[in-house]
Amino acid sequence: MKFIAIILVVGSSFLTWAQPKRILLTNGFLHVGNGETMESALVGIVDGKIISVKNSLATTVNKQEWDTIINLNGQHIYPGFVAPNSTLGLTEIDAVRATRDFDDVGEFNPHVRTQIAYNAESKVISTVKTNGVLITQATPRGGIISGSSSVMFLSGWNWEDATIQKDDGIHLNWPSSTEGGGWWAEPAPKKRNENYEEEKQKIKSFFKLAQAYANAKEAKFDLRLEAMKACFIGNKRVFFHADDIQQLLDVMDFVKEFSIKYPVIIGGYDAHLIGKRFKDANIPVMLTRVHSLPEMDEDAVDLPYKLPYLLQQQGIKFCLQNTGDMETMNARNIPFLAGTAMAYGLTEEEALRAISLSSCEILGIDKLYGSIQVGKSATLFVSEGPALDMRTNKVSLILVNGKFESVTNFQTELYNKYKKKYEEKQK
Amino acid sequence: MKYKLSIFFCFLFSVTIFSQYAPENGVKVSTSEFIALRNVTVYVNPTTKIDNATVLISNGKIVEIGLKITVPTGVLEYDFKGKTIVPAFVELYSNIGLPASNERNYSQRPQIETSKKGAYYWNEAIRPEVEASILFDVDAKSAENFSKMGFGFAVTHVQDGIVRGTGALVGLGNENTRKQLISSNSAQYYSFAKGTSGQTYPSSQMGSIALLRQALYDLKYYSENKNAEQSLSLEKWNENQKLPVFFKTEDKWEILRALKIAKEFNQSYYFIGSGNEYVIAKQLKDEKATVVLPLNFPEAYDVNDPYLSRQIPLSDLKHWELAPSNPYLLSSEGIQICLTSLGTKSPEQFWKNLHKAISRGLKVSDALAGLTVNPAKLIGADGIIGTLDKGKLASFTVFSSDPFLTEATLLESWNQGTQQIIKTQALVSIIGTYSINIEGKNYQLELTESNEKPQGKIQLLKTNNSSMKDTINAKVAVTVIQNDINLQFNCDDDNYKGSINLHAKISKNGSVFEGDGTLPNGKWILWSGIKTTKPEDKKEPTTLKIDTTFKAKNWFPNLAFGYDSIPEVRTVVFKNATVWTNENDGIIKDATVITENGKIKYVGTNSIATPTKAIIIDAKGKHLTAGIIDEHSHIAISKGVNEGGQAISAEVNISDVVTADDINIYRQLAGGVTAAQLLHGSANPIGGQSALIKLKWGHSPDEMLIPNAPMFIKCALGENVKQANWGDYNTVRFPQTRMGVEQVFYDGFTRAKTYKQEWDNYLKNLKKQEGSPRKDLELEVLVNILESKCFITCHSYVQSEINMLMHVADSMDFKINTFTHILEGYKVADKMKTHGVGGSTFADWWAYKFEVNDAIPYNAKMMADQGVVVAINSDDAEMGRRLNQEAAKSVKYGGMSEEEAWKMVTLNPAKLLHLDDRMGSIKQGKDADIVLWSDNPLSIKAKVEVTMIDGKILYESANAKSLEERNTTERARIINKMLESNEKGEPSKPFVKKGRKHYHCDTLGEEGTEEENLH
Repeated sequence: MKFIAIILVVGSSFLTWAQPKRILLTNGFLHVGNGETMESALVGIVDGKIISVKNSLATTVNKQEWDTIINLNGQHIYPGFVAPNSTLGLTEIDAVRATRDFDDVGEFNPHVRTQIAYNAESKVISTVKTNGVLITQATPRGGIISGSSSVMFLSGWNWEDATIQKDDGIHLNWPSSTEGGGWWAEPAPKKRNENYEEEKQKIKSFFKLAQAYANAKEAKFDLRLEAMKACFIGNKRVFFHADDIQQLLDVMDFVKEFSIKYPVIIGGYDAHLIGKRFKDANIPVMLTRVHSLPEMDEDAVDLPYKLPYLLQQQGIKFCLQNTGDMETMNARNIPFLAGTAMAYGLTEEEALRAISLSSCEILGIDKLYGSIQVGKSATLFVSEGPALDMRTNKVSLILVNGKFESVTNFQTELYNKYKKKYEEKQK
Repeated sequence: MKYKLSIFFCFLFSVTIFSQYAPENGVKVSTSEFIALRNVTVYVNPTTKIDNATVLISNGKIVEIGLKITVPTGVLEYDFKGKTIVPAFVELYSNIGLPASNERNYSQRPQIETSKKGAYYWNEAIRPEVEASILFDVDAKSAENFSKMGFGFAVTHVQDGIVRGTGALVGLGNENTRKQLISSNSAQYYSFAKGTSGQTYPSSQMGSIALLRQALYDLKYYSENKNAEQSLSLEKWNENQKLPVFFKTEDKWEILRALKIAKEFNQSYYFIGSGNEYVIAKQLKDEKATVVLPLNFPEAYDVNDPYLSRQIPLSDLKHWELAPSNPYLLSSEGIQICLTSLGTKSPEQFWKNLHKAISRGLKVSDALAGLTVNPAKLIGADGIIGTLDKGKLASFTVFSSDPFLTEATLLESWNQGTQQIIKTQALVSIIGTYSINIEGKNYQLELTESNEKPQGKIQLLKTNNSSMKDTINAKVAVTVIQNDINLQFNCDDDNYKGSINLHAKISKNGSVFEGDGTLPNGKWILWSGIKTTKPEDKKEPTTLKIDTTFKAKNWFPNLAFGYDSIPEVRTVVFKNATVWTNENDGIIKDATVITENGKIKYVGTNSIATPTKAIIIDAKGKHLTAGIIDEHSHIAISKGVNEGGQAISAEVNISDVVTADDINIYRQLAGGVTAAQLLHGSANPIGGQSALIKLKWGHSPDEMLIPNAPMFIKCALGENVKQANWGDYNTVRFPQTRMGVEQVFYDGFTRAKTYKQEWDNYLKNLKKQEGSPRKDLELEVLVNILESKCFITCHSYVQSEINMLMHVADSMDFKINTFTHILEGYKVADKMKTHGVGGSTFADWWAYKFEVNDAIPYNAKMMADQGVVVAINSDDAEMGRRLNQEAAKSVKYGGMSEEEAWKMVTLNPAKLLHLDDRMGSIKQGKDADIVLWSDNPLSIKAKVEVTMIDGKILYESANAKSLEERNTTERARIINKMLESNEKGEPSKPFVKKGRKHYHCDTLGEEGTEEENLH
């Protein structure tokens, strides 16, 4: 038995140890992920599963039962945060084409799968993980149906290890109700998309075909339609990327027309304006990046900050995501998106639910992930202080499926390397 | 008087002589020597209107005009009773009769040098050698369009380039080019648009400004130095200097920009406006500017779909409402205005909009002056055109009634004494009831509406029951051409069955028709009609309504969240605040801060008497700090953030192109930002000068510039400069490697040293006979850098290039002031400290390009530990409003203390910008640039409650709600007006959504981009 009283900095050396099988975290401030907290919690983990969550003060620990006991001394325990709808792991350097693996040729590409392009060894991933983000949805871009995403750990020897849910959904870029734009040096103004109906029809035709294929007893094998099958007769989700009212209402109609079982909106900037219809339609939203500018001049300056609260008030199921400028490296700031949502209306626990349990529910992986509850996977982290505030998000321990992960990365290594340079110089 | 007359006749004589040069094909066509127009109402000039006047014309000129005029015998006479004539309008902005400009020469490879062959200026956009008169030829079709608006003259020029050459004054008659060309060189035209030039430089508005200024200096040099290199452009431009200059602008701020150039070169410009000049009425009045205003008021949007109409920016709605008042709002301030048809689509729209302007309060005399006398005076042609005074050209327009106050019909256009009929007016009204006799059978004909669109009905006998003698109405097709009338109707009565076609002449008084026709059986008959109703009194034309209740107001700025009036400087007392002083006192609790006259008057914990009339803000539980200063920002810039056309563009200056209409100013105020350095982009090694501004929402661009701010310039290194990510075609411009970048700097600074030497020698030796050296705006800035009068903020990423630039500077004996981005600063922080350079960096950005591979979020802390002054900046409109959060990240990454972290967005950028003597901390005597936070400003929970700049409260979160509601009310009010306009069937246009575009370091061209940015 190894007994570790206090973890201050867990170095990479931890990983070289044989991974313990029976781990007990004691005396932590537990954020369950479902809105509840426990001030002095005890979390027992065996073979990667959480087997007990109890109050430290009311429980006597039998030290013999555990091979590793870690006293957290009041540090905060969180379920692993989630970065849905991200190209994390699919690209390394935005400006270098050779590193971009998220957008392939073609309009309807449901068969194109991110899972096998996911780079488990990505340097970017290593810097995101150390802020508490442990799960991502590797998501393709481009075309009308970009491809199939997969839900992945930010850890693993290879993509196979890292997979949580293979091909969890297809991503459909709903046509824009406005069009135009030219190219960037000579932009043409945007206007109402006159081909909107036509483009919608195109999508409908494809879905009709796919639906027929899915229901057929014997059909000639078709790569694309095969990839759509699970959307109709399985658990595969359809992620609609849409923001404005016109699009959102049309998506609702579309969902009804094709009886889509698991529809999700990604974006949903205008969802708060049609809250009741959204709630009734029971379509969850992965909300547009909280740290973004208002869409229109007249929008309240803090509207994007307030959107989570506005959706929550109207009873719409939602989680946060951060697609946008530099989304891969920015995935490490997802905790602070939740922090801002907290500053603008949500409670702390509601805010962190929006990047943990709610995300996992929407992705359909909540049975095992998203909260720290008995029976779930031990995919969690410990932070010295509240993880939604920049100043106190200091990750001291990471467990992915019960396995310890390094809390350092190549950036901390460079930090230490050059710190040493200056220290030596001073001598 | 006699003397003048004789000169005038000489002129006349000479014209007559010239017109005889062209041989006639056939015998000579003579015209009457004298023409007299009688009984006419004449606008002789904008303020004199004579009724029942006689106008005597000879040889294309007005000979006499007045009430009692002796008309010579043998005169050609016209009776213009009831008609009004108005002097022909003068169009100042036109390219009539000139060949169409070529399309811009586009090639994927950049064109660095001029493609124009010959000894012309080095830049294709400077083309003073272009003469419109050489290219002019009569364009009858366009001329007629102008005539229908009332124009008789235009100054036409080739609308291409920044310096566009000369315009020619031409008549708008439809024949004889020699007669129509009145004056070859009437004016010069400038603009900020480079036009069809295919050269890469200039690619931004600030580049256009710099190029124009340099060209003006070159002109001066050329005119003063006999030994200067030959230039056909400058030679011609020099000759043109006596001519007035019309400066074409595309936005109100461009007028203010051009005014600065005018002042620098002691010139005066007239401005072709864009329609939103009402925003700067005050400045125009102070500058005594003259503006040529377009009448192309925006059409209403189609607002029937609320999903779409809610996306129309309030600024567009407000402009739609205010634009027709533009002429009135300016002329009522005493600003001299002219009017132009520029942008109006048709004569109908021109007149409709002119009426709209008059109905909004523009005086008829001002409108007419703006179309006639004022433009004539500006081009020095008021001796021959502009009014209908004796001796002037007989060019005027004939209307059916007063065209300014009533819906008149434009009938004739007279061009230098030649009549052109635009619309024939029916001689008399046919409207009324007539008794018609067709072969002894009587019918009653009723004609309604107008001669142009007559409607007819005829009463027929009912056939089925002849004893009843009942009648029914049948429709009659009627056409009237002059005094001919055609009637056609179908008859089904006791007399006739089938179509009856009639044609007749109308008697002079309109009461009798007499003519022939055919019956259903084809029989040719005589018929007649007699009016049975009394001839109506002549119907007065509809009179224009002057709308004095118009209440639209310009906001400051005129968009969402603009102020009704600009907030004033107030005395403000913040009580019980937790004050982050950034001074030795550190963070003081329960402190009082007093601001007065825009400065901080008191900071401390003593109980102090409250000044009278002060605003008292209880800041209990809240945190008060100095305003955030963003060392690296690209907001509030118009038309281009990069002048990437050349490797060195030190001559350009962001201060020239600051705009006050960017909503991001307000959004950042709401994030606690009070000042920013607006930097040039990073497209070239030596970019352009910065604008140091305060985010004074509602103020003019000049008021936003920090007074007496030090001079800064952006330099750049690495991938952007070597165009590494610009695609395969951008491999032409030097440099393409980091090696080349170093040499660009050495070359620039070496040339600057030589330049300085030349000037020093010249000034010392005073060899005036040789003339001064050429003034070079680019090298002057480089000399300023060498002399430490201009400070460098350099975009940089990897340690090699950082080290290199410090070596360049050391060898040239100056210092780099700031490295911005500086993501590998942590590797060479010791060298930076030794050199004395500061670092302004991102909190945690990386992975966006190859050269940021080694960027680490510990960078800020590590540089600070080595004694480097470190700031955290945004370089991004979105992140700019969360700089407090970004600063807080250094507490996480590296464990910086909160006070030091906070200084990285306040005091430290102030130091880097050499503004820390007046900004960056809460200290008595410093500028009252203050932010009140709901919480510790580094906390994720912190929200801005109050932002104050120079003692003015410019943002208050408590007010935000009511401002949002006001936005909504104003929108609803204008949308309702638009709906009314839509319902009336006024022309409308679909809403066009503008993309959300923002400038980043690597944005090229004049427009922002939605592309992923590379910084």
